Amino acid sequence: MSGAYGKYLAIARAAFWQRLSERAALIGRIAFYCLILLVFSCVWRTIFSAPDAPGADGEQAAQRAGDYVWYLALTEWIMLSQPTLYLDIESDVRTGDIAYQLARPLSYVGGKLAEGIGDLLLRMLTLAPFGLLFARLFSGQWADGRGLALAALVGVAAALLLLLCYAAIGLCAFWLHDCTPVYLVWQKLLFVLGGLMVPLSIYPGWLQTLARRLPFASMLYGPGQLVSSPDAGRALELLLELGAWLVLAALLVLGLERRGRRVLELAGG
Amino acid sequence: MAQTLLRRLRSNLGFASELVSRQLEASFALRGAFWLSVVLMFVNDLIFFSTWWILMARFGHVGGWRLDDMMCLYGITAAGYGLCVVVAGGISDLSRRIDEGDLDAFLTQPKSVLVQALASRTQPAGWGDISVGVGLFALSGKVQLETVPALLIGVLCAFTTFVACGIVAHSLAFWFGRTQTISRALWEFTLMFSMYPPALFGSGLRLVLFTLLPAGLVSYLPVELLLHPSWGALGAALGGSLAYAAFAVWLFEQGLRRYASGNRFTVRG
Repeated sequence: MSGAYGKYLAIARAAFWQRLSERAALIGRIAFYCLILLVFSCVWRTIFSAPDAPGADGEQAAQRAGDYVWYLALTEWIMLSQPTLYLDIESDVRTGDIAYQLARPLSYVGGKLAEGIGDLLLRMLTLAPFGLLFARLFSGQWADGRGLALAALVGVAAALLLLLCYAAIGLCAFWLHDCTPVYLVWQKLLFVLGGLMVPLSIYPGWLQTLARRLPFASMLYGPGQLVSSPDAGRALELLLELGAWLVLAALLVLGLERRGRRVLELAGG
Repeated sequence: MAQTLLRRLRSNLGFASELVSRQLEASFALRGAFWLSVVLMFVNDLIFFSTWWILMARFGHVGGWRLDDMMCLYGITAAGYGLCVVVAGGISDLSRRIDEGDLDAFLTQPKSVLVQALASRTQPAGWGDISVGVGLFALSGKVQLETVPALLIGVLCAFTTFVACGIVAHSLAFWFGRTQTISRALWEFTLMFSMYPPALFGSGLRLVLFTLLPAGLVSYLPVELLLHPSWGALGAALGGSLAYAAFAVWLFEQGLRRYASGNRFTVRG
């Protein structure tokens, strides 16, 4: 049993160290993280410093602007930590490399997920201190330590769910060959209905109701709001919700791989 | 001297328009892929713009910029960027070509290397950006018959600056070698900043946005020309873009003197 897990652990470890050597890509993500927080800290400061801003007066306004910067720091941390797993799987299917990988004594998609987890962990660990630094710098305030811990915990679960979703998108290559359109649609739905840049609480009522009923909200808005409103009960609720989605996503990935292999056997690798 | 320059410019423009029309014919030939790219980019841009719609629905304005002003700003950026990737789609991998010595094939032709490299590719998704730009101009209600010339000049200025900024960022490869990541990041950061109103940023950042990342020339000056047309605004928008373009061409030519061949044997059809 430990041998079976050991293979995947070794793949995850190798991916972790390999990505660590790709410094340019990491620096690019850190720079983007910095700029997006800078821009949105300017947006929130401008909005809340306006005399006609709703419910905004002096210190309270600055506090709210700061809370939104911390919210974005958390949601972007989850998004920017994601490796482009769907592109790797798509490339294996398109080039036919998958045929060689299927012969290995381990699950193809399991190996890819292990690689993705190694990559994801590296990015999360690298981006986290920069997120704290930039958010403190641009918001002018520290977030509640308990809130950060809860948000990080839920954030890791959300990131794992996202990774599984990317694997499912990549496996669509068995039928579509080019998965980018599926990825783009998924990504944009996540941006808007997940509340990547703007918390769902700001949305118009009808859109808020719709977004809260979909899984996207528990991936970004859920962990994001924990930073400024730490609530262990809510965190547990989110973890259970994400856990249920993780099980469903894992089943979907396994089902897609099984059906995809059948297509491959019929059409040839 | 002036006549020689003018003749050279006219000859290069004629050559570029021939190259672009051949590239467009090629991209229209793959009809399915073409329309898929266009529609997805259109949806992508609209979803991105929805953040502003959400913010304006809640707060009314951001630093005095209302939804219709933002439509003009975003429209100019989208149309300028779309034109840039349709007409000069080769810009996104210019630094790679320089670094890998891939300009050899262009050097053997009796035409401008820069024009050939830029117009060697077209990105159909750019039509989606252009469509969003046109749609937002129409929805903004700010475009009247008498402001159409200002709008067209504004879009041309945005287009010219995007191309020039790409040339400057990618020309770094002549001096520093493998700069693909940083060159692309500089170009994308310019695009990112050009989608946010200048009222958000302080004087220090604005200086950066008119020099290192010329978002000011891409959208702030053109949108000023559209919203408050005057001779001063026209001079600033046109003068800024043309001066930056002249600098970009000069920089590329300086870099080309340092260019080292890839010593590759390739055949171009």
